[in-house]
Order: sequence, then C-alpha cells, then structure tokens
Amino acid sequence: MAAELTSIKLNPESHLILDQPLLRLPHELARRNFKTVQRVVEREKEYVLPALKEAANASLSNTHTPDQTLAALDAMISRMQGLKRKMQSLQEEEKKIQTQSRKRIQHLETLHKIPSLADVKYDQWSRVRLDRLLVDHMLRSGYSESASQLAKERDVEDLVDLEVFTQCQRVVESLQRGETKEALQWCGENKAALKKSQHNLEFELRLQQYIEMVRTQDQSKKIDAINHARKYLVSYQDPDSKEIQRAAGMLVFAQDTRAEPYKTFFSQDRWRFLSDLFVKTHHELLSLPSQPLLHIALSAGLSALKTPLCHSAYTSSSSNSQSTTTSVCPICSTELNELARKMPYAHHSKSYVEGDPIVLPNGRVYGKARLMDISKNVGSVESGKIKDPTTGEVFGEDEMKKVYIM
Amino acid sequence: MDLVQKEHDRLLKRLKASQGINNVQATIDLLQSARDTIAADPNQAAVTLAKLQNPVKASLNSINDSLKETHSGLNKYTKSLDKLFKDRPLPSTEHDALSEQEHLINRAIAMHLLREGQFSVAATFLSEIAEKKAFMQNHQSSPASPEQATSLLDLDEVPSPEIRKEFASMYYILSQLKEKKNLLPAIEWSCENREALEARGSNLEFELCRLQFVWLYHGESEPGQNAPGNWRAAMAYAKREFHAFIPRYLREVQQLMGAMAFCPNLQDSPYSSIFNNSTVWDDVAQFFTREFCSLLGLSADSPLYIAATAGAIALPTLLKLQTIMKAKRTEWTSENELPVEISLPPSYLFHSIFVCPVSKEQATDANPPMMMPCGHVIAEESLKRLSKGSRFKCPYCPSESHMKDARKVFL
Repeated sequence: MAAELTSIKLNPESHLILDQPLLRLPHELARRNFKTVQRVVEREKEYVLPALKEAANASLSNTHTPDQTLAALDAMISRMQGLKRKMQSLQEEEKKIQTQSRKRIQHLETLHKIPSLADVKYDQWSRVRLDRLLVDHMLRSGYSESASQLAKERDVEDLVDLEVFTQCQRVVESLQRGETKEALQWCGENKAALKKSQHNLEFELRLQQYIEMVRTQDQSKKIDAINHARKYLVSYQDPDSKEIQRAAGMLVFAQDTRAEPYKTFFSQDRWRFLSDLFVKTHHELLSLPSQPLLHIALSAGLSALKTPLCHSAYTSSSSNSQSTTTSVCPICSTELNELARKMPYAHHSKSYVEGDPIVLPNGRVYGKARLMDISKNVGSVESGKIKDPTTGEVFGEDEMKKVYIM
Repeated sequence: MDLVQKEHDRLLKRLKASQGINNVQATIDLLQSARDTIAADPNQAAVTLAKLQNPVKASLNSINDSLKETHSGLNKYTKSLDKLFKDRPLPSTEHDALSEQEHLINRAIAMHLLREGQFSVAATFLSEIAEKKAFMQNHQSSPASPEQATSLLDLDEVPSPEIRKEFASMYYILSQLKEKKNLLPAIEWSCENREALEARGSNLEFELCRLQFVWLYHGESEPGQNAPGNWRAAMAYAKREFHAFIPRYLREVQQLMGAMAFCPNLQDSPYSSIFNNSTVWDDVAQFFTREFCSLLGLSADSPLYIAATAGAIALPTLLKLQTIMKAKRTEWTSENELPVEISLPPSYLFHSIFVCPVSKEQATDANPPMMMPCGHVIAEESLKRLSKGSRFKCPYCPSESHMKDARKVFL
C-alpha cells in the first residue's frame, strides 16, 4: 500500500522538466524584442542630439537660413515619429508575447493543484501536454499545416510556438532549394546574439555563395568570387584561415573533382549541412532543445513501460488481446512495438503477479479468480471445465495447480 | 513556480506603466513647438534652438530610464526561471535513438490522431508526410544509401486505409452512443463480431442489449413518470432479442424480467441499481472502445499517450541517474535493462513481472521462469546453478527434486 501511495505521488516541480522551453522560448523572444527597442532608441538619440546641436550652432553663427533650420527640425521630427511607430509595433509584439507567457504560467500552475497522478485532472493535463509535444514534433519535422490544425482543434495555440517554427522552417526550405538569402537575412537580424554562438553560420553561408560562384567556372564569375571572398570571408580570417586557404585553392578545381576537401565543397550535401547548421544555431539562440521533446518523453516512457514479455516469442498470459479482463499493453500494441524493440526494459526488483496464481497443465499462469470469471462468460465451456484464454485449450477445474511466486 | 508567477506579474505591471512612447511623444512635441515658434518668427531661431537643447536631451534620457526599468524586470524574471529550472536540465542529447526511427514515430502519431478521432488532422499529417517524402526523393542528390531509400518507400509506415476505416466506424458508433444514446449501431457491430467476442469471453453484446432494454423502459421522458407504453416497448424488445442470451445469461435476464413486476415503482425495488445507474453510458462506451481496439490487436488507451505520460513520470528519476553516473563515472552494467527502478502508478503495469527470488534477475525468453514440483518458481539459470545436474533441495521448502522435473511456466 505504501508503495502504491508513493507511486502516484505527483511532484509538480520536478514534473516540469519537459516544460522548460514553454517558458524559456517566449522569454527569449521578449528579450530579443527588448534589445531591438534599445537599439532603435539609441540610434535615434545618436542622430537627434548632434543634429540639434549643429542646428543651434549654425543658426547662432547665422550660417543657416531659417528655411534650412526648419528643414533640419522637420527631419528630426520625422525621425522621432518613425521611432514612435517602431516602438508602438514592438510594444504590441511585447504585449502579445507576455500574454502568451502568462497563459503558459497559468497552465503550469494548474499542475500544482492536482493532488496525484491517479487524479482525472492529471489525465486531462497530461493529454494537453501530449498535444503540445505532438505539435512540437510536427513543427520540427516541417509538418506545419498539421501542427497548426492540431493546435487549433485542441485549443492549445497559446501553448505552442507555431510562428517561431514556421519562420525557421521557411529558412530551412529556402536553404534546401539552394538559396542563402533568407538565412543571411536572419543572420543580420540576430547579429548581436550570433556573436556568442560557437557555430559560424554566417561564414558558412558566405562560403557557400563563394562556392556557387566558383562552380560556374566562368572567368568573370571567378573574379566576382575573389571579390566576394575579400569582402566577406576575409573578415573571418583569424579563426578560419585554413578554410580560406582552401577556398582559394578551390579556384583551380572543377566541380567534378575527386580531390578532397574540394569534392566536399562542391557537393550538394553541403546544402543539407547548412540547413542543419541553421536549425542548430536557431534552436540554440532561443534555448530550444535540439531534439523534439516527444523523443525525450517517449524514450523514457518506452523503457519505463517495457518488460521482457513485450518482445517475447511467447504470448503473455497477463496481457493479451485474447482476453477481456486485461487490457493490451501499449508496448505490445502495434503502434509502439517496433519502436520499443531496441529500448532497454524497465528494472524491477519484485515479482508482480495476479492474486492467487494457478498454473494450467500447459504451463500458463493465471490469477484463479480471473480465469474462473472468463470461463464463466465463455458460452462454449461446460461447468467444471475451464478455458485457457490465450491458447483456447479446455481443462478440468481439478487440473489447476497452485503456484508459488515469491 | 510561485516566484515565477510573481516576477511575471511585476514584469507585466512595469510594461503597462512604461512611459517610453509617451517620452518619445514629448520629444516630438518639444521639437514641433520649437518649429512652430521659428516658423512664426525666424529671428527667434537661435534662442529657441539653444533653449531646446536641454529639454530634448532630458526627454531622450527618460526614454532610456524607462527602458532600464523594463530591463531589470526582464532580468528578474530570467532569474526566477533559472531558479525554477535549476538542477533540472533537459536530458543530454548525446544519443537520440528515436531519431533514426522517424517513420515509426510518425506512424504512431498518425494512429494516435485516428484513435482520438482527429480525422482531418490525421489526413493533413499523412499528406504532408507524403509530400515531404516526394520532395526528399527528388532531392536525393547522391544515390543515397539504399537502406534509406527503401525505408522512405516503405508503405507500411502509415496506417493502412482499412485501419482508418475501422477507426472512422468506431467514432461513428461512439458518437451515436454518447450523444444520441443510440445503441443500435453498437449492437449491430457486436452482432457482426459475435464469434470473436464470444471467444474472448466478452459479454459486450449482452451489456449493450441490456442497456437498450433499460433505455426503452425509461423512454424519452424523465425517469419516474414511465408511461406504460415504454414498459411495453421494453418487454417487446426483450421477447424479440433476449432468447438468444438465455443459455449464458439466464440470471441476468431473470433479474430484468423480475424488475418489471415492480413497475412503475422501480426506484424502491431491489433492482433499482440496474435501472438508475448514472455512469452506465460512459462505462458502456469505454467497454465498447476496449473491445473494439482489442479485436484489432490494439490497446484501448492511446499507447502514445500512455508512453509519453509514463516518460514524464520517469524523467526525474532518469535525470538523477544521469547526473550520478556522470559524477561517479560509472556506466550501466546491464545493457538491456534500465539500471534503476521507476515506480509508475499501478495502472501502468500491464504484464505480470517475474523476478527470480534467487538471482534477482527478471525472467526473459533466454532465462524463463521454471516451476519445481513443489510449486515454487525460480529462473532457469538459477535452477541450473542450484542443481548441478543432481537432486537438490528447493530454496523455499524442504522438498527435493531433479532438474528435469521442473517445468517452464508462462506469465
């Protein structure tokens, strides 16, 4: 009994492991948003104050006509108005993010009010979590349409990050098509944050542009390539000097070369490498885990549920689809069976069997009460006989033998 | 969690009170009024502009001040989040065994959606998978490993149309049952599958028919004011249908007939529980779902749901294990088995578990449970070790036996 009580205890704080990105991601977005505000304010301030000073000095020394002064003031006013518009739209964004965060906090808060894992409310909460995990998985695999449809039908739109992933997916798709523009634009937007990143996404993208120019084998394009390398690649000289030497060496090879590393440079697989690198950088920047949360939950869950019987060559007596009194084990069910094959099974230190176990002449062990119950309900069995629900064999009641399992 | 909530509340308050945009507007107003003054009297230009310097600077600085405040709010919230998730990092991602089996996961998801009755989402999902597959095939630059190609072509990865049809019919029957209290589609289904159900020892068909009888008896009207017509309808139904059940369910049928003698005062009769059971519809719906899925060889609850929930329950323990193993630099000794016990709620135990009382190992196909003639069970390897080919004493009782007398049992 004591074991039963501890096994249904719900510790909400440690139960939230899977839910970190739920709060982290909007917060990262909010911080990014805030930095943008800071930047635009700083930029306008740096323009307006000197401009004002200059205008004042100019009009003091009478070098400006009144019209020029007015024009200077107008320019300042319009820039400030631009700033106001920008700040307003950023504030809207901020509000949206924070309302979403609020709803997420409330969602996590409800878990604290649920007394135990056996509670119906936990069941509901866990179903919402599964929906969230599914949407997350779909978004990461690029099935955005299904994800948004599911989020809508299950009413979890505030608990999932459709927009972030859709944008990410757009860049990934453009990279898969062999375009660097959108990815470079993203790099531009996140320049400050990218400086801390250990991946050199921007350099790799620029290098790819260079490779594409060299690939043409056209003389004028090659000159463009050299200029491009001077402009963009050399700024990375220090950490990547070896790469740059290789890039330069590439100029004398054609794309069907078999010499490494130039073969890898020219390979189409480099685009996949770029899109993977982009996803990695993107997720890191927003503190998203690199693997879908569903994978984390499933690999833990499959192992926790799996028993050696789930992939046994013999049908289990305790849980099979042939008998009404047991439900089919989820790992034995066709959906997950293959998936769980390579997983380790759960560790148990104690046997767990039905009450009052008996063994039939064919070696099958059942709880006595359950076996009697089944035999009663099966029409075709005469009284005094029992039917093995797994194999369908019929035995006399006196053939049951008590078995002791410690 | 409370701290996070509090900090977030504060952050929201600060954002609402933020004067940033007002300060910008104030700056605009200052500039605008200066412009108006100068436009009206160009001689004032130098003075006005000189006067303007400090106020504009001040209002621009106050924008920065309000930003600073927001910044500190954000930072405090960050700290509260860090505190909440401290010591609880997501499990390390070194090894993601599931990512190689993407198609199996997708299949499980599609099945889950069908099970939950999300047919349109499932359809979108399947078509998006197909789209991606086609795209991947077109962009297969180098003739990739043939293995991958076949797994992409594998049609088994999505649920077959038959399964989809089965679930669609299950949902039709369930919706009729739950929303319209129309049992007929369910009865029809159980009639068609009578043999399979009977072999399972299932009494679904009788349960459905009994409920139909009760439903007819109560009629459309409120229970308590039963018109005799409803009673008649129920009796007519009983005469028509129940004779088939008499051999197996004689007692139950007798109960129903006996109850009719108390009509119309059933509430006070010993049979009232049969007729006034509020949860009976939900129970029957659940019963039906279980039987339906079992006949398809599937578990009644979505396996994906159970596995994900079990995973969330297991994660704290597994994480702790990971940290301890890292600190002690040890590794798992048993490759196929988790090194810790994870206590799941009793409803998550589906199989009997046999742990050999001698070796403390779980029985497997290679090391099955063996029963000695005295009825005690130990694992085969322990048995071999104990007997050494000759007669030996059972470790739990005085009886002696020989290795060859022991029999394999199935749990």
